[in-house]
Amino acid sequence: MEDTQTVEGTQPLRNDLRIGVYVCHCGKNIGGTVRCAEVAEYARNLPGVILSQDSLYTCSEPGQDQIKSDIRQHKLNRVVVASCTPRLHEPTFRAACQSAGLNPYLLEMANIREHCSWVHLHNKDAATEKAKELVAMAVSRAANLSPQLELTVPVIRKALVIGGGVAGIQAALDMADAGYKVYLVERSGSIGGRMAQIDKTFPTMDCSICILAPKMSEVGRHPNIELLTLSEVAEVSGHIGNFKVRVKKRARYVTNECTACGDCIEACPQLSPDEFEAGLCIRRAIYIPFPQAVPSKFMIDMDHCLNNQGIVACDRCYQACEHKCIDFADSDRMLDLEVGAIVVATGVDVYDPTPLTELGYGKFPNVITTLEFERLINAGGPSGGELIRPSDRRRPQKVAFLQCIGSRSKRSNPYCSNVCCMNTIKDALLIKEHWPETEIYVFYIDIRAFGKGFEDLFMRARREGVVFIRGVPGEIIEDIRTDDLTLLGENTLLGRHYKYQMDMVILSVGIRPRAGAEALQRMLNLSADTDGFYMEAHPKLRPVDTTTGGVFLAGAAEGPKDIKDSVTQASAAASRVNILMSRGQVSIPAITAKIDPDKCTACGLCARVCPYHAIEGGKDLGYFRVIEAACQGCGACVPECRFGAIDQTHFKEEQLTSQIDRALERDPQNKILAFACNWCSYAGADFAGVSRIQYPPSVRIIRTMCSGRVSPRWIEKAFLKEAAAVLVSGCHPADCHYNNANRQTAARVERFWKKMERLGMNKDRLRLAWVSAAEGAQFAKVIKEMDGLVKGLSLEEIRRDAELLRQSLEKKSKES
Amino acid sequence: MTTLRLWQHFNREDLYECYQCARCTGSCPAMEVAPAIGPRETILRCLNVGHQQVAEDERLWLCCTCHVCEDRCPQQIPIGDLLVALRNSAARRGNIPGRLGMAIELLAKTGRSMIVHQLDEMRAHHGLEPLQPVAADEIREILRKTGLKEVIEF
Ligand SMILES: Cc1cc2nc3c(=O)[nH]c(=O)nc-3n(C[C@H](O)[C@H](O)[C@H](O)COP(=O)(O)OP(=O)(O)OC[C@H]3O[C@@H](n4cnc5c(N)ncnc54)[C@H](O)[C@@H]3O)c2cc1C
Ligand code: SF4
Ligand code: SF4
Ligand code: SF4
Ligand code: SF4
Repeated sequence: MEDTQTVEGTQPLRNDLRIGVYVCHCGKNIGGTVRCAEVAEYARNLPGVILSQDSLYTCSEPGQDQIKSDIRQHKLNRVVVASCTPRLHEPTFRAACQSAGLNPYLLEMANIREHCSWVHLHNKDAATEKAKELVAMAVSRAANLSPQLELTVPVIRKALVIGGGVAGIQAALDMADAGYKVYLVERSGSIGGRMAQIDKTFPTMDCSICILAPKMSEVGRHPNIELLTLSEVAEVSGHIGNFKVRVKKRARYVTNECTACGDCIEACPQLSPDEFEAGLCIRRAIYIPFPQAVPSKFMIDMDHCLNNQGIVACDRCYQACEHKCIDFADSDRMLDLEVGAIVVATGVDVYDPTPLTELGYGKFPNVITTLEFERLINAGGPSGGELIRPSDRRRPQKVAFLQCIGSRSKRSNPYCSNVCCMNTIKDALLIKEHWPETEIYVFYIDIRAFGKGFEDLFMRARREGVVFIRGVPGEIIEDIRTDDLTLLGENTLLGRHYKYQMDMVILSVGIRPRAGAEALQRMLNLSADTDGFYMEAHPKLRPVDTTTGGVFLAGAAEGPKDIKDSVTQASAAASRVNILMSRGQVSIPAITAKIDPDKCTACGLCARVCPYHAIEGGKDLGYFRVIEAACQGCGACVPECRFGAIDQTHFKEEQLTSQIDRALERDPQNKILAFACNWCSYAGADFAGVSRIQYPPSVRIIRTMCSGRVSPRWIEKAFLKEAAAVLVSGCHPADCHYNNANRQTAARVERFWKKMERLGMNKDRLRLAWVSAAEGAQFAKVIKEMDGLVKGLSLEEIRRDAELLRQSLEKKSKES
Repeated sequence: MTTLRLWQHFNREDLYECYQCARCTGSCPAMEVAPAIGPRETILRCLNVGHQQVAEDERLWLCCTCHVCEDRCPQQIPIGDLLVALRNSAARRGNIPGRLGMAIELLAKTGRSMIVHQLDEMRAHHGLEPLQPVAADEIREILRKTGLKEVIEF
């Protein structure tokens, strides 16, 4: 605070710029490809630069100390660090600046690692030249920066947990124990999730519900936890520290007075498959999901209740209930909550192997899944813990497990599901424990027993005589008389074709993202990886954060994982929330839009595009103004104003156009100018770098917060300056981090194409691409394709198009 | 005779995706009845010992190109195409089983892949009409157009 004020008072004049440039080698990561000393030397001669040096690791303690002492000693008033992506170390260097008394908004970074050295590994000259230009672009943006004060807002000391599996339970308890109020929203009638369904847990063979139930009851009675079952989040607005959440709570039709005596069950004539028992048996329309359910209350499944259609009036359960706690008048309700942070713990679904017709699941009764097996072998399950085969209720003598069903396959899920190898080993041991004479065969591709205690368990299974055969059957044939199953396949280690006759086959099915995970993804502006799991802000260093501030991930919703990892992650997420809560306030980045009332003509066009309704005003007032607390800083309103009355803090017009000027200073006819949004496409380009996906060095990327900030005037400017091609890129249409502000992007590019067409320009030179943060390969592909186009363009064509554009602009300016 | 550039006809990188799960062999009907080499081992050999050696293996010709393996392969490797490409490569080097070569020659000459006059006798015995003559010229033309001549002589 202190620092910023002193800087505000002494806002430097343009002619006494004192810029310090630091070029980082990042060990060999940058230094192995880019000649850093040469880049630093080049930067020394850029306007405003008074000091430039290269260092091995700028982010290290000595590296940061150097910056701090230079700020003090050489009175630097701007700092440019050329290193990795600002998405990684911008906070580090901003903090360094601040501690030396320089306003953090006077720092600028050039991304010469993810966007340069890592993607041009084999072209040192081109990479070095590109790095110089990226530094020059950063220096000219830095010259145009001004100090900013961040607004701080209080954090509401309440949290929301979505999903009541083991991860959600753990996160809720950790936050509640720290003294904060927690709303736990669970879609089904009880918390517990998958863990409540499984019998024993690997690697310790603990009874799953026995270790989970105490935690579940603790949630039920914790004074700081408000449990909302049969509930789902319907709407989310606001931001870190202050979210407004609308929750839809479905009717239970049974009041809180229910003592779970179960007198109503017998009375109910209506039946339905029992979801908790994986559909292996039936339940009534009035039911409790499982005996240990929390809350321990019955509920009516209206889809199956006779009263649903209103044709028959049934009140048998009501009559049977001594406490009269059945309430047919109950109805769905909407609850409005205000919370400071959100933990997403929605877990996973299990793969349904029906599409793999060669295995006969759903057709042959004795082919079941591991989830069904968990219920079969559970003492509380439909068979009372007896292992029986569904066709004739006989105990099987020969049992086969098939691994990687629905996982590691382009036909289903391409990733490894992480838990099914160990789950099978656990299941095999359970059978051996109860019925040691059972022959067990595990058909596998690889056994992945990587965790603590896993290899031990694997060895135990082998010692107990479980037969492991490398080679998954390609086909299962059923004997229609006996219901026995014949497995056809190849033992790859023996190189021999096999035919095994089995009494029962258990498919070790994988796990996949929850059906409907996208809805929540949109509401919370999360990213998903290519497999559909929610994406963390950084795979190593911010594994439970998301790119939306104040929203955290826990459990298998983030990726396949076992119970231990789910719980670990849940505690981590809770601790991230607790930090936020105990601090009690967050600062909001100073990137809001501002309207100059003198230039504003009160036309109101900006207000129409603002996705947050953050612009108010009107003809009566004589101008429009931005409500700072509501503005999220997408910048979508800026290009909309024809009078240049709006600008965005820290993404000012001249800051960005100066970057365009620099990028196209040399050799524009061979360059692609790319605009990328902070959350998706810039991150996607970073990901291409992290994955070392190589693409041509002709592209220069300029970052905005949202693609909606990209002004058609910039595209115009680029073509007038004879850029060969322009790329506008952002998040996929429904994934925009600013409430679909990228609709404006699409509309503006569309209009620009029309204009190009009208003028007779080659409209392929402007491209619009949606690239998510996970689509590094896609970003590289787009650049490769555009580079191909650029190579095919002639200088005459580029100049002719520029001339056409110039003439049309001149004509327009004469007219007005 | 030019040898075929195998990897121009089949994307070599696709093979690297095979993780030897053996679902293909498990569903291969030829493997069940004959000592065929099987898709999994074919791929493994191509990767570990080289496709030239694989192309010399007679067992390659036991595949009945039903493409079930391809249907079942979790990595969606176009195994059928690989086997056909390998056979083409083998045939160009004259590595084609004798009986198959003979059948092709017969087909080109008579329009049928087997000698049929005994068949006609049997048909007569059962009171059936003799077989209709076939347009051998046209069949030869088709064979020529498929490019078979570049692979083997007939
Ligand atoms: C067959 C099988 C056996 C397994 N065996 C073991 C084992 O032995 N040992 C082991 O360590 N791990 C095992 N696992 C893995 C284990 O189940 C998971 O690690 C664990 O359940 C993950 O917990 P979670 O809370 O993240 O998700 P889940 O358990 O899936 O819970 C998610 C919860 O969120 C709720 N929910 C979902 N969407 C919404 C929404 N939109 N709004 C509100 N609520 C929502 C769901 O109803 C559910 O209650 C097994 C998994 C399977 C499939
Ligand atoms: S009212 Fe509905 S839940 Fe109650 S007994 Fe009748 S069918 Fe069952
Ligand atoms: S954990 Fe094992 S069975 Fe599951 S997908 Fe991975 S390798 Fe296959
Ligand atoms: S459009 Fe974006 S930048 Fe403009 S006022 Fe609305 S939220 Fe703020
Ligand atoms: S099915 Fe596909 S992945 Fe599996 S062994 Fe055969 S070719 Fe390889």
